[in-house]
Amino acid sequence: MSATSVDTPILALEGVGRVHPTHSGPVRALGPVDLAVRRGELVAIMGPSGSGKSTLLALAGALDRPTEGRVLLDGHDLATLASAELARLRRRFVGYVFQDLNLLPGLTALENVALPLELDGVRLVAARDEARAALERVRLAHLADRFPDDLSGGEQQRVAIARAFVGPRALLLADEPTGALDSVTGEMVMRLLRAQCDAGRTALLVTHDATHAAWADRVLALRDGRFVDHAATPRGVGDPRASAGARSNPEARR
Amino acid sequence: MSVRHSLLALLDREPSHGYALKAGFEAGTAHAWPLNVGQVYTTLARLERDGLAEPAGSDDGPRQTWRITDAGRVELARWFHGPLVEDPPARDELAIKVLLAIAAEDVTAILDVQRAAAMERLQDLTRQKARADPEREFVWLLLLDALVLKVEAEIRWLDLCAARLAARGGS
Repeated sequence: MSATSVDTPILALEGVGRVHPTHSGPVRALGPVDLAVRRGELVAIMGPSGSGKSTLLALAGALDRPTEGRVLLDGHDLATLASAELARLRRRFVGYVFQDLNLLPGLTALENVALPLELDGVRLVAARDEARAALERVRLAHLADRFPDDLSGGEQQRVAIARAFVGPRALLLADEPTGALDSVTGEMVMRLLRAQCDAGRTALLVTHDATHAAWADRVLALRDGRFVDHAATPRGVGDPRASAGARSNPEARR
Repeated sequence: MSVRHSLLALLDREPSHGYALKAGFEAGTAHAWPLNVGQVYTTLARLERDGLAEPAGSDDGPRQTWRITDAGRVELARWFHGPLVEDPPARDELAIKVLLAIAAEDVTAILDVQRAAAMERLQDLTRQKARADPEREFVWLLLLDALVLKVEAEIRWLDLCAARLAARGGS
């Protein structure tokens, strides 16, 4: 995508805020907030309704513009891009997964996944090859020719994840992707997202389900448009990864 | 945790001696709750006193082998098939702390700290789930699910407290 350094956050929000003008005066939906998401990270954002979660996701994906601060995708300041460039960056770089309405019903799973590449001018055969590879990564290659209506809810979300990460697309933005799924299926989708991030892709996830947020490397809480400050939090046992193998007496660890 | 009923369940499978019961309990519950072998012998003595288990001779060298009695099977069936009801509820330090903190100036900060710690615990448990082998470690995975949902309940309760406090403060 670009020649930016590996240390460049794939997504950075610097002092980003969004204020909506209304007839009863300006209403602040978000911020200002700072956030840097590194390559390979899975970051979850939690917060009650109206805390600014979806606004943050829309700003991160350039679906909305901030009223203050800068949003950088792979080091590019979105405000400096012309709208055609912005659309191209978004299409090449960012994938979206929502609770539902993810897939076009008239296209097969493979065609759905290939679509962003085709829109971007990739030749049909190459686009389908890439799409098949993306479906393989979510272990759905065998269902490539099914239409969305013939897939379960969990399978549809896996297709949506494959499409979000097809070809060079490196950043997935997800708004309640497990919201419509039962516990076991939702967990399967989170395991898959985790595996994709462990393989180098990056995801920013909005959810109100703590058990799903817990698959993330970092869980951030939003309240009234700001991140809740965890600075006061006593860090328990150092790096949780170090103690993760321990299984001695869970009762005593309460 | 009912050591008493756990031992009856193991003895119902086959007569065993004390150390095998300790090992069987720990293996059957994913090694989550280490059991002191002394506690096993004390419990066996009480089961014998109550007529629920009895010595079955020493088939295994010097170790005493135990077996379940008919009365023991009845008691075991009652435990397995009846619901477990906590009445009164077990004392819950978190609930007590939060309820007593409602009068404090900054209960929100107290909730935030607790929530962040619970979230870290949930992430830790989830990493252990990610690592567990769903075939070989099935029992362990079920136990992790139980622990995950307990922490989730705690987080949801803390969120509910925060929401109710905000609604009360705003009205």
